[in-house]
Amino acid sequence: MKRMTKGKFVPVLLTAALGFGLVACGGDDSSTSTEAPAGSEAPEGSEARASAYMATGDPMDNFTPWADIPDSGTESPVVDCAPEEGPLKAAWVYVGPTNDGGWTQTHDEGRLAVQEALGDAVETTYKENVPEGPQVVQTVEDLIADGNTVIFGTSFGFQDAFVEVAAAHPDVCFEFATGYLSAPNLSQFYGGAEDTDYLAGMAAGAASATGKLAYLASFPIPEVVRGVNAWTLGAQSVNPDATVKVVWLNTWFNPAEERKAAEALIAEGYDVLGMKGIDSPSTGDAALAAGIPWAGYNRDNSANYGDVWLTATSYHWEAYLIPRLQQILDGTWTAGNYYGNLSDGFLTLATYGSLVSDETYATIEARLVELAAAPGSEFTGPITDNQGNEVLADGVAHTFGELMSMSYLVAGVDGEIPAS
Amino acid sequence: MKSPIRLERRLEQPKWLNWAIPLISLVAALILGAIVLLATGKNPWDVYFRIFERGFAGTRALSGSLKTATPLAFTGLCAAVAFRMGLINIGGEGQLYMGAVGAAGVGIALDGQPTGVVVVAMCLAGMLCGALYAAIVGVLRAKFNTNEIITSLMLNYIASIFLSYLIYNSTSYWRDPVSKNFPAGKPIADRAEWNFFEFAGIKIPLAFFIAIIAAVAVSVLYKRTRFGFEVGVIADSPKAARYAGIRTSSTIILVLALSGALAGLGGAADVGNFRQLLDGKGLQMSGYGYTGIVVAALARLNPITTVVVAVLIGGLTNAGFALQGPDFPSGLVGTLQGLILFTAVAGEILIKYRIKANRRVTTAVAA
Repeated sequence: MKRMTKGKFVPVLLTAALGFGLVACGGDDSSTSTEAPAGSEAPEGSEARASAYMATGDPMDNFTPWADIPDSGTESPVVDCAPEEGPLKAAWVYVGPTNDGGWTQTHDEGRLAVQEALGDAVETTYKENVPEGPQVVQTVEDLIADGNTVIFGTSFGFQDAFVEVAAAHPDVCFEFATGYLSAPNLSQFYGGAEDTDYLAGMAAGAASATGKLAYLASFPIPEVVRGVNAWTLGAQSVNPDATVKVVWLNTWFNPAEERKAAEALIAEGYDVLGMKGIDSPSTGDAALAAGIPWAGYNRDNSANYGDVWLTATSYHWEAYLIPRLQQILDGTWTAGNYYGNLSDGFLTLATYGSLVSDETYATIEARLVELAAAPGSEFTGPITDNQGNEVLADGVAHTFGELMSMSYLVAGVDGEIPAS
Repeated sequence: MKSPIRLERRLEQPKWLNWAIPLISLVAALILGAIVLLATGKNPWDVYFRIFERGFAGTRALSGSLKTATPLAFTGLCAAVAFRMGLINIGGEGQLYMGAVGAAGVGIALDGQPTGVVVVAMCLAGMLCGALYAAIVGVLRAKFNTNEIITSLMLNYIASIFLSYLIYNSTSYWRDPVSKNFPAGKPIADRAEWNFFEFAGIKIPLAFFIAIIAAVAVSVLYKRTRFGFEVGVIADSPKAARYAGIRTSSTIILVLALSGALAGLGGAADVGNFRQLLDGKGLQMSGYGYTGIVVAALARLNPITTVVVAVLIGGLTNAGFALQGPDFPSGLVGTLQGLILFTAVAGEILIKYRIKANRRVTTAVAA
């Protein structure tokens, strides 16, 4: 019972408090910083190779002002948020650290590309590790007080705060990834990652000897559900009996938990891993340690996972960001919805790893060209869900609206959408 | 090998140390911070001015700091109340979640009732849920002498999973049925939203006033009542307390329940004053419970000081977000905040102990 005496316990308490406090206050910078731009040279001695596809489309063809989307119920007047003088100040608000090796890092690479492309005309900044909650409004208000007139938000949970601040500042431009709410000065931007998820799934299906694959997913929202389904369909296209075990992590960014989940799946005997909606490449660390093939997500991490890397959906936000900021500078910016794809350069399939055979490479490249020409067409019937119900009859494809609200899992997915 | 210095307990603690040590700690932190800043090519004066400006100067900064401070005041009180009796309750985090669950449930259920009724009911529900959750720790400690650090910490994880279950893995009462595709908490009734009061342009959340009332109540309870006296006796010597006929077991359970009730009240405040729904993900990102332990430690477990320190930490947190950017990584912000907290806590030791030089007689033995 000595611990109960005041004098002895104070240092214990202070040490414990400090330890926990710092963990709670500080951001988690433990994830590896990676430097591997898309299409980078493959490491020597491997057969890694880049996709041969070159995007030629104009991203602005995939942008629709709110006024032209009948059910948005939102006007989209021209918002003049360019400064009277000096550079256009643009700010990004991130939920994770800029070196997370995934989602946030791709956004920050987009920011840097904007800075390089537009030079002195813009001045960019960012806030990282911003928790979803009351601090978001304060952080954005601070950014506006600093003279930023275009604000980017990149986490679903910031959405309500962005709508609130957008209403309070009609002369500031807001851009959001990813959400679904609209306002006269708030745009949504994202793209059809299901196409590249499908292609990554092809590489995964071909790499599996047992046909038992596992997929780590963040939240059971349509964006992620599309990824699960597309990846599974891709795997089945080259490995018809392939099944995919899906695990919902209910987190965007928690490297330790991601890795634990991946290790558990490997221990259960799944021989290829994939992921969606998760911001860090920790799944890959587990795959690398176990020596099993891994299809990544978010960005080209081939340089760091050479032996187990297959390929991945890779985002290039700058494809959208540069023309949009140019519109602000030109005084023609309106709010609306952007949904990019392979053909306009928003999405690429990352470097193929050495595990991808020549034959699989050729098959995926051919399919890639098809999907670039017809985004979303991987969801063409016959498709049944994993409860045995027919979702799409032979030859029928989903409408864009159906894709955006997808809430079923295709046959072959071992798992369920909780409470749907 | 013997250390060249040793700590010797002060027999008397001079009053002037109580203000001199924190001041010296702060100056030490600023100097250490300045070295780090200079080493990374920043102007320390500009940085410190900006921390002050964005954390504490002006109505908008203060309004924001009070917002951030409010949940920390509750979790700080939660830690202080338990730690004063030597009960290391690390579970403020989970107890706050449970309070948020209770308060959100009541906030949704009492749609259409007068605002006053709803606010009081939410507070009571939050306190009850937090208290019951912490009482589990209390019973285990009192009856089975289980280490409360472990149990309270583990219960945080369970509360975390429970939150995720309510919002993401079930069609629970707390989940918005409209949000089938994008799981989110169900918004509480409009009238259940707690007010902000404006004084001289500073927006003060209702919950902040409740925190002040709670702090005063805890202060009176511990200083002026028999219960408080018994807690003090148990803290100093559990054996003596038992000889004196104090029922330590029930006091342990009561203190932990009180501690949990305060965290639960913080959860109610988060739902009522700030988020207006049960935000499973956002709560877990905020880490109010753990930061509250730092707040209590810096406040030397004094309830009133806890509220003041919460405001300082709130301001420091907000200033941290204002500070960071491309040429000011959040890691550097964390380093500065860490230095300030570290020197402040380290300085505490000098109030209770003094540094004495060891005579260098025995040092020749060791190489």
